[in-house]
Amino acid sequence: MTDYLVAMLTFAALYGLMSLALNLVWGMAGMINLGLVGFFALGGYASALLTHRFGLPIPVGLAAAFLFAGACGVVVALVTARLRGDYLAIVTLGFAEVVRIIASNEIWLTNGTDGISGIPGPLRGEVPPATFNLVYLLIVLAVVAIAFFLLQNLRHSPFGRVLRAIRDDDQVAAVAGKWVIAFKIEAFAISSGMLGLAGALYGHYTSYIAPDAFVPLVTIYIVLALSAGGTGSNLGALCGALLIVFFQEGTRFIAAWAPGLGAVQLAALREIAISATLILILRFRPQGLLPEKLPRLAKR
Amino acid sequence: MGLLSVAGVVAGYSAADEILKGVDLDVEAGEIVAIIGPNGAGKSTLLKTVAGLLRPKAGTIALGGQRIDGRPAREISTLGLAFVPQEANVFARMSVAENLEMGGYVDPRGAKHKIAALLERFPMLAEKRRQAARTLSGGQRQILAMAMALMVEPRILLLDEPSAGLSPVAAEQLFATIRAINREGVAIAMVEQNAHEALAIAHRAFILVDGRNSRSGAGAALAADPEVKRLFLGA
Amino acid sequence: MTEIAQLVLNGIIAGTILAVPAIGITAIYAVLRFPNFAVSSIATMGAFAGYVANVSFGLPAAAAILVGFLLAGLVGVVSDEIVLKPIRRNGLLAAAIASVALTLALENVVRFFFGNDLRSYDLPIARDWRFLGLRIGPQQVENLAIALIAMAAVFLFLAFTRMGKAMRAVADNPMLADIKGINADTVARIVNFAGMGLAGIGGMLIGLDTSIDPLTGFRAILSIFAAAVLGGLGSVPGAVVGALTIGIAEELSLLILAPPYRSAVGFVAILLVLTLRPRGILGERAY
Repeated sequence: MTDYLVAMLTFAALYGLMSLALNLVWGMAGMINLGLVGFFALGGYASALLTHRFGLPIPVGLAAAFLFAGACGVVVALVTARLRGDYLAIVTLGFAEVVRIIASNEIWLTNGTDGISGIPGPLRGEVPPATFNLVYLLIVLAVVAIAFFLLQNLRHSPFGRVLRAIRDDDQVAAVAGKWVIAFKIEAFAISSGMLGLAGALYGHYTSYIAPDAFVPLVTIYIVLALSAGGTGSNLGALCGALLIVFFQEGTRFIAAWAPGLGAVQLAALREIAISATLILILRFRPQGLLPEKLPRLAKR
Repeated sequence: MGLLSVAGVVAGYSAADEILKGVDLDVEAGEIVAIIGPNGAGKSTLLKTVAGLLRPKAGTIALGGQRIDGRPAREISTLGLAFVPQEANVFARMSVAENLEMGGYVDPRGAKHKIAALLERFPMLAEKRRQAARTLSGGQRQILAMAMALMVEPRILLLDEPSAGLSPVAAEQLFATIRAINREGVAIAMVEQNAHEALAIAHRAFILVDGRNSRSGAGAALAADPEVKRLFLGA
Repeated sequence: MTEIAQLVLNGIIAGTILAVPAIGITAIYAVLRFPNFAVSSIATMGAFAGYVANVSFGLPAAAAILVGFLLAGLVGVVSDEIVLKPIRRNGLLAAAIASVALTLALENVVRFFFGNDLRSYDLPIARDWRFLGLRIGPQQVENLAIALIAMAAVFLFLAFTRMGKAMRAVADNPMLADIKGINADTVARIVNFAGMGLAGIGGMLIGLDTSIDPLTGFRAILSIFAAAVLGGLGSVPGAVVGALTIGIAEELSLLILAPPYRSAVGFVAILLVLTLRPRGILGERAY
């Protein structure tokens, strides 16, 4: 039971990190990213390859994951920063698909659809599995705590205020200075880097990554976490991530009251339930459960 | 009871701001009424509110005795009131003929006939009937916009700064056209920056300042008023 | 040389087929101003509706495709009315996000009923025709004809019918269209029906060439959006030009890339166009 709880909390923390990353671009700068899973995958592969194949230490893998995913984020943002949000939606969605196609087909690099197994984890094999899981949970929680702390500070820094100004009114912010695009690219890069870091942490935790783990459903989970928690609020992003894990586990029990269904049908029902929940939240509670508390005078 | 009567209208673009702070306006059948005033006085806002693009927060608007305030623009347009916005008043990527057809969208009966009549009346439009409206000059575009409004055979035409951005010659032609339309019995309420021209052709005029009525009266009388002269006619 | 000519021929056929859903999505964008990603699963649904009509009820492919059109159009209207329209009031990007969730839900509805297996239509077996060293299958010719008929119908509709013109008017200038008494809700419903119906035809045409499964539409989504973006989002003739370009480029990419990378061609094309000519080949929203 403790093991189960530890595992769930670890996943919640990983979702939390991704949800915080999404909040930085969507919640604070108003930029859409429908290819979250693509950056997540890039980080996962970057760190897995460096540590597994080249035997580099895990912290180097994590740093590389952050930088590599962040750099790809810069490229995506550079192309789309001047354009309207709908183009960013299309490009990011396409980006994630292309990452998955490459991961599935460059067998020499990624081992294709078979995936990479045996990714090292800190102390894995040296301590009992239960201890490893606990240690890893603490590591992930520490990363999330640091990210949360930095983002909270960022929110109230001049950088954060500019981002929110961009979100609320692109044009006014643009009139105020031509650095809007630089701000947007910076936010997008940091966010992509965080997603890459989450991917790397995921790989080192499960010791196995494959293209199957990087499907659009993951993006939906993260968008759902942030929307449910409250777009714009870092605390909401974390609470939303916790909710997602509850929700994921909860939907496993669909099997209990629908015994006549096959595995494929059950999986389909779960995905329908998850998608429908996101739709319902966007429809009926777009501000989320913990709406952003705006500093006074910030909103017209 | 006038054709159009506006009483105590309060309106604005968001909950907080009130551009119109209680405006009255009346237009009798068949007359030309000019609405003039400094920038930001709420002249265009008044027309948009009457046309149903903005919902008044207070006050009443009636057309031929029938209340129209709060009704959507497309309903109001079927009641004999046609609004010509200042900008983007034609469908830029559609042909001149198609623009006329869309002008009469609410009542397609006899549209072919009406289009033919308008093309005959405005030979310039006939010449360019197959061209996209975005290829027209500013003055031609205003004429097309008014012709589109005439497709519904309105009792009253609301014009928002029809001469804005036009050359003096084009503006002259435009005012001649407005007068000709009016002579056929269509009442006209127009907002104008060009107060000289507006007062010259208007039967009556309303001066709006800061969202309120300032003066009103016969066009010629206002044009002769020393204070109006000083404020709006640059004399 | 013959190899390249064969690839170009295949590309023209693929591009013509791709143009059908690309027109659908670009028309929806022109009126509603957001990218509706539900198009991918609705294309899949059209393919499966045609499959049921073809395999279970024995209709020939050309008739079954009408069933695909109707079902996809219906799902498009109903899902927009219930799901996306209310969310559009909270913002167009929120609607775009919701459309991704919607496409996932619809994909899983197909999966629930049909499973993940590949399925093929019941088609008469026919030998390829050969001329000048090039090969072309009778089914390909039929698909090409269906795509051309669908496109011709769209152009006639937009150019000559009252509703088609009203649709262009709303796309051109929504505020003026409102003043002129054009009901934007009606136009939205019709563009959703027709646009998603075209996506359904597109899904089935893609399936007739190979086979179908719940991911048929999703695999094509990059190509479809690439075609629309390339031609300028919101421009119907642009979507046709964009689709032909993407179709030919995807086939020619086989000369240097492995087949799975075909759909990456669309993504590269999107990046290139957005960098070099953001308004698309024909300029945004040109008719």
